[in-house]
Amino acid sequence: MATVLRILTYQGIPVWRHVLIIQWTAQIVSGVVVVALVVWFFANISNAIQERGIPYGFSFLSREYQTPIGDHFIPYESSDTFLYALGVASTNTLLVAVIGTILATMLGVSIGLARLSGNWIVVKLATVYVEFFRNVPLLVQLLFWFFLILALPPVSEGYVIGDLLYVNNGGISLPWLYAASVNLALTWLALAVVAVIVGVVLNKWLAHREAMTGRPSYPLLSGCAAVAVIGALAWLVLSFTTGESPLSLSTPEPQGRFGRIVGGFTVRAGLLVLLIGLVMYTAGFIAEIVRAGIQSVGRGQIEAARALGLSPMNVLRNVTFPQALRVIIPPLISQFLNLTKNSSLGGAVGYTDLTSVALTMTQTAPAVSIFIIVMLAYLAMSLTWSLIGNLYNRHIRFGGG
Amino acid sequence: MASPTASAPETMLPPRSEVGVIGWMYANLFNTWYNGVLTVISIVALLLALGFGLKWILTSADWTVVVRLDGRLIIGLYNTEAACPGQNCFWRPQVALLMVTALLGMAWGLSGSRVTRNVAVLSAGVMAAFAFLPYRLETMGLDVRLLLLANLPVLAGGWALARTPLGTRVRISGVGIVIGVLTVIGVLTLVLLRGLPGVPGLQPVPVIYWGGLMLNLLLAVAGITLSLPIGIALALGRRSHLPVVKVLCVMFIEVFRGVPLITLLFMSQVLVPLAFPEDFPQNSLFRAAVMITLFSAAYMAENIRGGLQALHPGQAEAARALGLPGWETTLLISLPQAIRNVIPAIVGQFIGLFKDTSLVYIIGMLDIVEIGRVFVQGNAEYRGSAREVFVFLALVFWVFSYGMSYIGGKVEEHLGVGHR
Repeated sequence: MATVLRILTYQGIPVWRHVLIIQWTAQIVSGVVVVALVVWFFANISNAIQERGIPYGFSFLSREYQTPIGDHFIPYESSDTFLYALGVASTNTLLVAVIGTILATMLGVSIGLARLSGNWIVVKLATVYVEFFRNVPLLVQLLFWFFLILALPPVSEGYVIGDLLYVNNGGISLPWLYAASVNLALTWLALAVVAVIVGVVLNKWLAHREAMTGRPSYPLLSGCAAVAVIGALAWLVLSFTTGESPLSLSTPEPQGRFGRIVGGFTVRAGLLVLLIGLVMYTAGFIAEIVRAGIQSVGRGQIEAARALGLSPMNVLRNVTFPQALRVIIPPLISQFLNLTKNSSLGGAVGYTDLTSVALTMTQTAPAVSIFIIVMLAYLAMSLTWSLIGNLYNRHIRFGGG
Repeated sequence: MASPTASAPETMLPPRSEVGVIGWMYANLFNTWYNGVLTVISIVALLLALGFGLKWILTSADWTVVVRLDGRLIIGLYNTEAACPGQNCFWRPQVALLMVTALLGMAWGLSGSRVTRNVAVLSAGVMAAFAFLPYRLETMGLDVRLLLLANLPVLAGGWALARTPLGTRVRISGVGIVIGVLTVIGVLTLVLLRGLPGVPGLQPVPVIYWGGLMLNLLLAVAGITLSLPIGIALALGRRSHLPVVKVLCVMFIEVFRGVPLITLLFMSQVLVPLAFPEDFPQNSLFRAAVMITLFSAAYMAENIRGGLQALHPGQAEAARALGLPGWETTLLISLPQAIRNVIPAIVGQFIGLFKDTSLVYIIGMLDIVEIGRVFVQGNAEYRGSAREVFVFLALVFWVFSYGMSYIGGKVEEHLGVGHR
């Protein structure tokens, strides 16, 4: 008996009471159970796929998709492959995510600030906005906007504002930049990027000098001027050397019996509805995040800044906001992530985002394979957002703002 | 003490511009020039919106579409000939509703709090008031009206039951009894709605016919009750120092948070039937409920983890120093405080879950939104009434969501969040 006990002892404690051994046994058991369940699940699926003759695998990716995609912002033909079509659909989702994020942040920050304003009626309006748009499902809002746009007059009888803006049930057509020669436009864009870099460097340097010496150096003004001068110079030089301007403005023109509009840029109804819905919905959440963040800054900070003679605008810009950002950024990033994921409702309002294209593809290709790719794509997008958030967090935690 | 020689200066009234309506307006609307501009812009925008909105609601809006949809908005196709041949099945969801009302009555009787009373009386009162809707009798029979009216006596009955000595015993040591009663009522509701083969009057109704607000509420209740415990387990797992548990929890949370719910719902619809034998009973409602619950649990886990992280480590250290074992430290010291601190986030997640139940359209289930959309798109005569339908739906969701955030706020107040 004693020998048995000695064998079953580890560090002088019986094994069934040793915390390390209990923990590791529990971990190994739970790990094995989970892995076994997953293996069982997928083994059953692969069996069923073979028995029931369901198509599987990823060979379809190199096949021709042969279905049009309503909205596409990179060139797409029906003869392109499934893989390329998925790429086109991803750019559609990314486009909505990026534009939506920018607009929702702008609207959300304004409404969040409005809720903190000293103006009674502005506070009440902002509160009503937040309480309404946060508490109604995005799908209901999207469908409301969708049917509202559908009820607009058709293209031939649509509203025309100053011969520049065409509003009808097909969407909105507005003037847009147009490049006669892609190479020329890209050259100018590259030079413009250089101009922006020079401007930013100049701005930083002058700001540093002003802070160090106290001599007024107008960092913002000089930076902007540098960007404008370099950009304009590049434009002039390119125009004179090649004889055509890098970018020209194209205005929408009704064509034929005004059944369609050429030129300019047409934001089609689906994209328009999705953007309006996503922006108004997400802005409600962002407004609350901004409000909570600003309220988290101690009153003493603001009072001290006022006592030092900073103007209210300066207090907001240089004292309140930098501190509030630490509280605001993490939940804000998660709202950006939500917006990206919510753009998967685009299919309900006729926008060909990644999910809706994938749903259409399931009619001619294996659904499981397609959705594995789609989920990986969304995962990649969310992990990118998380990465940005974590990097920013680290920056403000150790970099000192 | 010497009395002051000079008489106290006569108290002057504040200037007229500082008090009353004018003073209030000056302080709150026109204190600076840009606030004045903002006020004027806001009033103009408000008047325009009110003008358009009221004109639309009073003159051009045509609410007959909502009347035409009537019962379908509440129970979907549950009481149609296909779902319930040769019978009237409307009473089954109604009796399920009565059980919920009885529960509310018991909760009111047990807690005796004002909020519970208000919620219970309001919901039972609204349902009873529906009995007096001016409908033709054939679309809303006498039985339907009587069952709706029965909500009031049932509420009173539940309240009275909780005031008996039985209720006192539950109040003293009754967490187990409460959970038991909730489970029994939940199972009874499902049996009542699903039906039992062979029992007259309870013929089975396949879940594909369940719909309307009933479906949204069923999914929401299931998701809310189950996602909180699962979320707590995941949060604890993610904070655990056991590597295997931690990795599994992190993977689960990140995957479920990283993809849209509708792709998860679609995947469950495609994959789960393949994982079971072909004759295995399949249930799309169950799959949807599981997916919504797991999706929400992943978010819940992150909320609770936030609460745990914000907790001062001294709390757990003190508990350990007093001799509490690890599990009791977590369950009795850390978790209650962590959860109390993140109640707003948890309530927000519940509201999000309720709103997300509208996404089951992707697997072909007819929830209240999809019923409305299909009706509008399918009937040419009502295609122009889409705005009315969605405004109505927005109002329905708003009432429930706002109710949840109101109750959440009251719970917070009750627990003294931010005042300790």
